[in-house]
Amino acid sequence: MISINNLVKHFGKVAAVDGVSFVARDGAITGLLGHNGAGKSTTLRVLYGLLKADSGSVDVDGIDVLQTPLQAQERIGVMTDAHGLYPRLTAREHIEYFARLRGLPAQVINDRTQVLLARLGMEDIAERRAAGYSQGEKMKVCLARSLIHNPQNIIMDEPTNGLDVMTTRSVRNILQTLKAENKCILLSSHIMQEVSALCDEVIVIAGGKVLFQGTLDLLIKQTGQNTLEDAFVSVTGTGA
Amino acid sequence: MKSFVVVLLKELSDASRDRRAVLSLFLFPVLAPLLIYFMFNKIIDLGEDALDIELPVAGAEFAPDLIDFMQQNGISIKPLDLDVSNNGFSAATSVQLKTAIENRDYDFALLIPADFARQVAASVTVNVELHHDSSRTGGGIKVARVQNLIEAWGKETSVLRLMLRGVDPAVARPVNVGRIDVASDQARAQALLNMIPMFVIMAAFMSGVGIAVDATAGERERKSLEPLLVNPVQRSQLIIGKWLAAALFSIMGLITVMALNVLALSQLPLEMLGISFYIGANEVAGILLVTIPLALFATSLQIFIGIFARSFKDAQVYIGLMSLLPMLPFLYNTLNNNGRELWMSLVPMLGQNMLLADVVSGRTPAMPDFVLAGICLLAWSAGFIALASRLLKRESIIFS
Repeated sequence: MISINNLVKHFGKVAAVDGVSFVARDGAITGLLGHNGAGKSTTLRVLYGLLKADSGSVDVDGIDVLQTPLQAQERIGVMTDAHGLYPRLTAREHIEYFARLRGLPAQVINDRTQVLLARLGMEDIAERRAAGYSQGEKMKVCLARSLIHNPQNIIMDEPTNGLDVMTTRSVRNILQTLKAENKCILLSSHIMQEVSALCDEVIVIAGGKVLFQGTLDLLIKQTGQNTLEDAFVSVTGTGA
Repeated sequence: MKSFVVVLLKELSDASRDRRAVLSLFLFPVLAPLLIYFMFNKIIDLGEDALDIELPVAGAEFAPDLIDFMQQNGISIKPLDLDVSNNGFSAATSVQLKTAIENRDYDFALLIPADFARQVAASVTVNVELHHDSSRTGGGIKVARVQNLIEAWGKETSVLRLMLRGVDPAVARPVNVGRIDVASDQARAQALLNMIPMFVIMAAFMSGVGIAVDATAGERERKSLEPLLVNPVQRSQLIIGKWLAAALFSIMGLITVMALNVLALSQLPLEMLGISFYIGANEVAGILLVTIPLALFATSLQIFIGIFARSFKDAQVYIGLMSLLPMLPFLYNTLNNNGRELWMSLVPMLGQNMLLADVVSGRTPAMPDFVLAGICLLAWSAGFIALASRLLKRESIIFS
């Protein structure tokens, strides 16, 4: 479970995140919804320990991220906005590198890698070097290496951005499986379709502030709109 | 397994597949000893050539004394069939000579007039002509040697003439310059030997640079830094792993440079230059003791710059400038005549340069100098690594 309380983060004088609070539950997929520059990535980066907060608190399964970022990172799997791979390493080597950095035993690494390769349908690229991977193949490697330690909490920054239909589908399937395993999944997106297809709950964020948190039905009901997109525009108030 | 070992192994296997990194590892260490080898060969050739002069002479039969003197001094005479009957030498002879020299039939030639012996006997000044092409490099030494010998014969003759007339030869020679040439082949060769420490230091800088930049600025440029940092690993562990990987490459480079240099020098007849060059187990151990801290230092600086730089290109520019650093201690040592002082051991690379120069020229440096210079470099390295680890915590460095 992830809970953020009154988080504030400035870059210079600009408040990128300005008092954000929300909770992402276990066994649910929570969507962080907002325009580009709304503060989604900044919030997530504080959450996975790469940015320091100016004030507020962030905790993961009761561990304070701001005080003990390394302990918190052990409980999180992150797929960052950046999907950089090492062009001379194979998919398997990418996954093993992160697994070893996390100190997993060799047997566990082997077994988990096999499972993930199968689940993501990437056996064919397991021994191939990353130079020349398609966007989808890159994304699968990123996903696999972020899940190798079987984390309780999964954070994804725009996970299906730029993916084709088939890859998007397999990512969705994985997320549903993880949800069924009672994991806590938090993803950011600016694509309505994706959020409506996946998320149990959404947090609408704009200008660094949370404008809405609740189920999709509630969002539509509250705004009196017919579609999620209209509801989103009506909440953020910048639909002109 | 400690995290830094994981990073080290990954970076090593990654870099060993990188043609650029492998090339930068071997290019310099292979080229530098070749350069040394060819330069030495050149010096030895020049030395051999200067001793071995074949002098084409027209009219040799007219000056047997002079020719004897030349031959005694190691010049072999090759008679030329040219018209020297005219004492002013004919224009046709000059043209003939000019063409022959232009055609490289020979590089120079001596003309002796037909009445040489008569004029010498009459105690007047005889004109001989030494034709050569001063624009041609290489022949200068030989021409000067021939000229010196002719003048030496002239001096001897003048001494005899004065003594015949009862005059002390010293009267006609108010001053005698004794010239001692220190810029001998030996000195030149010694200067070359002194370049070896510079090459070794440069190898330390150039062999690890590919991996050092790729693992830092490259990591950021290909956007793999952020995913790496979400793993619960201390930043210092990441930096140390990357550093040691680069340092291992650097050490491999300088071992290659040393091995090939020793090989190149052992193939050369250095005794011809009067140089005693010997590298045994002790010397190799000494050089390694000096250079391994050097590799650690060079790569720590490169890792720091790689983290600090805004981009791969940025890093390459900084590091390119930094590659000039190893020249500085070499230049300083070349210009410095005051010998070793304590502070020099503390300046990174200067101390190493002096130690290496000592080892290469067969002197054994004092143990405290080794230890001091080594510890000093390791302290600098630790500083750069600590700085790089701190930089890697900065938000502006991670997300730039």
